[in-house]
Amino acid sequence: MNLSRPDRAARLDALAAQYALGTLSPAARRRLERLARADATVAAAINEWNLRLAPLAVGIPGIVPSPRVWEAIRQRLGLERMPSASSTPWWSSVSLWRGLALAGFALAFALGVTLLAPVAERPDERIVVVLAGQDAKPVLLVSADRGGRFLTVKAVGPLTVPADRSLELWALPTGQDPRSLGLVSASGIARIPLPSPAGIALQGSPALAISLEPAGGSPTGKPTGPVLYTGGVNNLY
Amino acid sequence: MASPQSLDGNAALADLLARTALADQRAFAEIYRRTSSHLYAVALRILGEPAAAEEVLQEAFVSVWHHAGGYTAAKSQPQTWLTSIVRNRCLDRLRRRALDTVTLTRDNDEETEIDLPAEGPSAVDLLIAGAEAHSVRACVETLEGGQKQAIALAFFQGLTHAELSRQLGEPLGTVKSWVRRGLERLKECLERGGYAR
Repeated sequence: MNLSRPDRAARLDALAAQYALGTLSPAARRRLERLARADATVAAAINEWNLRLAPLAVGIPGIVPSPRVWEAIRQRLGLERMPSASSTPWWSSVSLWRGLALAGFALAFALGVTLLAPVAERPDERIVVVLAGQDAKPVLLVSADRGGRFLTVKAVGPLTVPADRSLELWALPTGQDPRSLGLVSASGIARIPLPSPAGIALQGSPALAISLEPAGGSPTGKPTGPVLYTGGVNNLY
Repeated sequence: MASPQSLDGNAALADLLARTALADQRAFAEIYRRTSSHLYAVALRILGEPAAAEEVLQEAFVSVWHHAGGYTAAKSQPQTWLTSIVRNRCLDRLRRRALDTVTLTRDNDEETEIDLPAEGPSAVDLLIAGAEAHSVRACVETLEGGQKQAIALAFFQGLTHAELSRQLGEPLGTVKSWVRRGLERLKECLERGGYAR
């Protein structure tokens, strides 16, 4: 048995690929790990596939973890207390922006062509934003004709809003504070009027977000509650 | 899509990792600040539970602190390296969970009998260096529907062959061959460099 034999090399490559993708059964995964510990060729093949596939994850929109995660890391490693490692507000998080810039890809990728196919046949230019929560499952669909003066919001997943709270929709202009677009009722259905045609109203805002606010909306004009859903603004033709 | 900004970001991250390897706490905190929300989202997506995702993130960063010196800029971009650490920990946890809770139903993975001999490490580093986000994505675009869907579900939701088969309502054999062929094609495409830049 020699790895230079083409059939063996191909077998190893296929196993390493499936390991990195994560589709191997638990038992097969363990077996391959055992082999990798004893065999540098196997370990290298796995590493190669890990690195090859990892860039796909770039498209996942960022979600700011709880501050307790950094605190736990800091304590476990005995690090000094530092000017908080996560003090930036969520809307200026670098990762959020990097994630959203590429979310269009992740979206098309995750939904396959099912979302894009019918739209492609429409003559009008549409703006479509899929807002997804922590589990990255689509929850709300926001859409508008570029020339239209309102946004249509529709729930595509389950929404739970406490009775004394409201959902508020924000545009996230690059490098600026979020701008409120309006409230979305607990039913997840809303028609939000815009001051200008949608294409202009959302210009410079590559993403939208929904935050949980006191009933009637944020009292400060900026998001005060947690961000529940975010999504990148996609132009469909 | 690979904007100059993201390239700068990667250069900066590589520098921060190098400083972390020298036990620079501020550099380490900065890596966390820059990458934790993306990595957390990756973990959450696969594990589906905030508590588990937080634990993985914590473990991953503890490991980064100890092994930052193991990052080699020639092999991959820093973001890629960090992501693969987090993904692997997630998959380990998912599979361990499966082993702990379920009496193992064999899904007859063909890889049951593997006996691979030891040999020197294969050198495909150059290829990896080129296989960054835009090219992988362009190559994914070339996959057929079933292949693309199976690979996307596996990658983003951490499904096994058996789970994919249930979720997609297709026979196990079909799903396995989608995954296998899809991965083969992905690799071929990356090696050819046959993607539009």
